[in-house]
Amino acid sequence: MTSIYDIHDLTVAFGGRTVLDVHRLAIGTGRLHILTGANGAGKSTLLSLLAFLTPPTSGKVAFDNAPVPWGSPSLFRLRRQVTLMHQFPYLFSGSVFDNVAYGLEVRGMAAAEQRHRVAEALAQTSLTGFERRNALKLSGGEVRRVAMARALALRPRVLLLDEPLANVDHETARLLEELIATLPKQGICVIMTTHEPNHADRLGGRTIHLVSGRVVQADGAAEGPEPVAIAAAPVHRIAATVSTL
Amino acid sequence: MGFIAESLATSAALIVSLDPEVFATVTTSLAVSSCAIVLAAVIGVPTGVAVGLHDFPLKRAVITLLNTLMAMPTVVVGLLLYGILSRQGPMGPLGLLFTPSAMVIGQTLLAVPIVANYTVGVVQGADPRILPTALTLGASPLQGVLQLVRQVRFGIIAALIAGFGRIIAEVGVAMMLGGNIRGYTRTMTTAIALETSKGEFAFGLALGMILMAVALVINLFLNTLQQR
Amino acid sequence: MKLFTRFALTLALVAGLCSAALAGERLRMSTTTSTENSGLLKVLLPPFEKRYNCTVDVISVGTGKALKLGETGDVDVVLVHARALEDAFVAAGFGVNRRDVMYNDFIIIGPANDPAGIKGAKTAAEAFKRIAAAHAPFISRGDESGTHQKEKELWKAAAMKPAGSWYVESGQGMGEVITMATERRAYTLADRGTYNAYRSGKTDLKIVFEGEKGLFNPYGVIAVNPKRFPHVKYDLAMKFITYITGPEGQGVIASFKAHGEPVFFLYGPKGR
Repeated sequence: MTSIYDIHDLTVAFGGRTVLDVHRLAIGTGRLHILTGANGAGKSTLLSLLAFLTPPTSGKVAFDNAPVPWGSPSLFRLRRQVTLMHQFPYLFSGSVFDNVAYGLEVRGMAAAEQRHRVAEALAQTSLTGFERRNALKLSGGEVRRVAMARALALRPRVLLLDEPLANVDHETARLLEELIATLPKQGICVIMTTHEPNHADRLGGRTIHLVSGRVVQADGAAEGPEPVAIAAAPVHRIAATVSTL
Repeated sequence: MGFIAESLATSAALIVSLDPEVFATVTTSLAVSSCAIVLAAVIGVPTGVAVGLHDFPLKRAVITLLNTLMAMPTVVVGLLLYGILSRQGPMGPLGLLFTPSAMVIGQTLLAVPIVANYTVGVVQGADPRILPTALTLGASPLQGVLQLVRQVRFGIIAALIAGFGRIIAEVGVAMMLGGNIRGYTRTMTTAIALETSKGEFAFGLALGMILMAVALVINLFLNTLQQR
Repeated sequence: MKLFTRFALTLALVAGLCSAALAGERLRMSTTTSTENSGLLKVLLPPFEKRYNCTVDVISVGTGKALKLGETGDVDVVLVHARALEDAFVAAGFGVNRRDVMYNDFIIIGPANDPAGIKGAKTAAEAFKRIAAAHAPFISRGDESGTHQKEKELWKAAAMKPAGSWYVESGQGMGEVITMATERRAYTLADRGTYNAYRSGKTDLKIVFEGEKGLFNPYGVIAVNPKRFPHVKYDLAMKFITYITGPEGQGVIASFKAHGEPVFFLYGPKGR
């Protein structure tokens, strides 16, 4: 089993407060990982780091066995292999097609192939026919599904999902759950956060549990869990800063 | 009251007859101010975006400076540039004084602080998810910033409208740097100033009404751009 | 956004092309606001522009600034009416080839009932003395213009310095000053041309004193010194001077009328 992420002695601190403190964490390719923990435990920050949007304050992060070039202009190439879907996704103004094709557009993909990929992604999220719809006039569930399609269209190696099943109607939640379950078989490494314990049980995969910024329990035999003492440190959830550009 | 009615009648007559001198002042005003707002956008929008997105030690001071520059009297800008562009000044050999180019330079200087300042506000007030979303979808830093600008274009166009409003209506810079030369650097505003100095109040007001009509048409046009 | 940019740039380009396509060379002339406002230049310049395929850019400002533009080399030729200042301008080496062009005169205007009783005065200086004695309101140009220079000359001839709340230094052009004097029921020294333009409808002030030699207002044209400012269009400026002092230009000046009356007068063949 290869690790796509290899993390050593990672800390992330904002304004003097340590939000993440992970001694050792390895994340394997082509698997589903479920990141659990209470609100404020550092899940979103960890996802943001794995998306290369938030740099570490200290520590080593390797992606695909190479050290991550934080602060370098070439960092965006790594970002093109990893896509993060926010808990409350932001859809760009314009049509659903514009949104789903955005990532393809910035990668310079030809129009015809863009159409093909978009149709494919919309089909996966049961949004066929939604191309021309105004992205700003969708229901909550539709927004989540468009964001999912937008990420899937890119066929990323790693898909990071922040609370993908929270705050949506039952139908959408079921659809997304089924979809997420199929992704590892397509070779996509999926890391999703949730604060509901049943999700982990239903979806299977490996659980990484965070408490106050520290990995308390990461089960899954091959990686070696790291039981670590619990500390109580206040945490913040911050979006990407310009320093990661 | 009668003099306002007289002005309305005069302005209508001038428009209908396409009086060549009035027409020349209108095209000069539009050409100069359009050029200037385009240049101001090229300078001001990236500046505003850069200041808005970055945190740096002098950020507060820079924003305060921009605020102050927005309120600079047009005659002061005119005087400063006059000293620079006159033959006696450092840029004298270019012979720019009393040409439309000098007016464009002056009006650009007036508009840049407005455009930059409003852009800073727009960028700072933008949804903080925009940039991370673009980046995680694979945008390069430049592509990400462009997408941010595209998402907040409504506010940025408002900045340009504000800047344009200020410069199409100003007299100080146009007069000092253009010289109000008939058929060359005479704008609607300098023509109004001239007519007023000749005591032709009704005619001056008529020109003023034409100026307002032109400004209205421009703003309607810019407004439709905003809605797109 | 792109549409607007294209529209604006096209407009600017068109404007730029138009002005470039405009008759070949540009001759820059500074003159006074009263000269341009008289309307003379609108008829005097076109024949010259046509003959030499050029455009004359007229920058009309106060006398002081008109000469200053010559002193900084920002114009090629100067047309003003302030003899003392013109002589100083030439003496200091800023200008060459000063020529007389035309003249008109100043008049003292005031309320029809003439509260200071200057109608009977023998000289303009005496009229001024009477105004001061009566503390009648008087608006001065206060802007170092040709008119203002003349006013100062007259106060000097009257051997007095005007001071007091009755004497108002406005710092504005002739037209504005006439308007102000009309509002304040005051006297002022004005050039006949501007007064004529205001006489019907813009002012109810009347001419209360005129015709004296001391009120003579001569106009001079001066080329900016090419030795001082090599970039000035000296040849074209000299062509212009030759034109307006020659038979064709003088003919236009003599036949120019405003409100039915001639505005400017010529010197005889000998000049003054």
